[in-house]
Amino acid sequence: MPSDNLSLIERRLRRKYEWARARRAFWGFTPVLLIVAAAAALAKRPGSTLTFGALMFALGVAALWYGRDVRKAVLPGVALGLIPLVLALCANHMHHVCMGDACMSVCLPACAAGGLVAGIGMAIVGQRHRQAVGYWLAASAITLLTGAMGCSCVGYAGVVGLAAGFGIGLLPALARKLLR
Amino acid sequence: MSSDQPSNLDDLVARLAEGDRAAFTAVFHQLWTPVVKLCNGMLRNEADAADAAQQAMQKVLERASDYDPKRPALPWALAIAAWECRTILRKRSRRREVSDELVPEAPTDDQTTEMEQRLLLQSAFSAMGELSESDRETLIATFLDQAGDVGGATLRKRRERAVKRLRDAFRRLYAVG
Repeated sequence: MPSDNLSLIERRLRRKYEWARARRAFWGFTPVLLIVAAAAALAKRPGSTLTFGALMFALGVAALWYGRDVRKAVLPGVALGLIPLVLALCANHMHHVCMGDACMSVCLPACAAGGLVAGIGMAIVGQRHRQAVGYWLAASAITLLTGAMGCSCVGYAGVVGLAAGFGIGLLPALARKLLR
Repeated sequence: MSSDQPSNLDDLVARLAEGDRAAFTAVFHQLWTPVVKLCNGMLRNEADAADAAQQAMQKVLERASDYDPKRPALPWALAIAAWECRTILRKRSRRREVSDELVPEAPTDDQTTEMEQRLLLQSAFSAMGELSESDRETLIATFLDQAGDVGGATLRKRRERAVKRLRDAFRRLYAVG
């Protein structure tokens, strides 16, 4: 067979390979949509929950399609993101706590605490398996987007609280990695 | 084919399964020739063989993510290609596509059966390699009709278990059947 034909076949098969990976990633990640739907049903602001959920879904599918280290980040990312998500959704239903005259929503501290726990968890998992930079970035982004589905309960302050808590939890592991 | 090529191919397909695109061209080129040869041998018609080879390669590459790195890649890919060729042969006989001019070039039923039997035998040997020594001995004794040191119900049970494990290994290796 002429080499031109062969390279045409190769290109066509490469496209098929990529499509097969994309299909597999999409259908493999669809169960996560149940979490997004549940979070949207329980959240105070379903619009932002759905936006963060769609972003998380798109990122998860892209990571699974890409493969390698980034693919391994998806499961821990979603699992750790469930911590701030569940805490924030619970806090949503507690409204606020009053101490004397001052009242405050418990959503913000719940998000920060959930982010902190998720950050520590991420540091432990990442260190144990000595993962590459792509893994850390993808896992962190998926964790933050999963958590943000619940933490948008007090607007973007909740998301910032989540990110701050996550950053603090992750800091010791990152510092150790950079200092090596 | 050099002796180190299969293990190299196993490694390349495993990398491709993980999403390493750099392995794609090498996998394509290492698999293309054996797949085309197999399809040519089974179909005995260049045009059909070229179509079948492309379809087979498409299936192999689409299923690359399912590849189990513990298994050899070449028999896995060839089993998919053989399946594709058999499908074409079945379609061809069903639709009676073969025109009168092509009849002399087309394989006789005996040739096709022989080719399929050879391929099945090769696949069965690969599957046998997955079994324990005692299972292999039982199956060989059964094939050679030698009862060995046991008989009756014990031998029957042993044969049943060995055949079941062989069938499982075959399914695991070739994802067909």
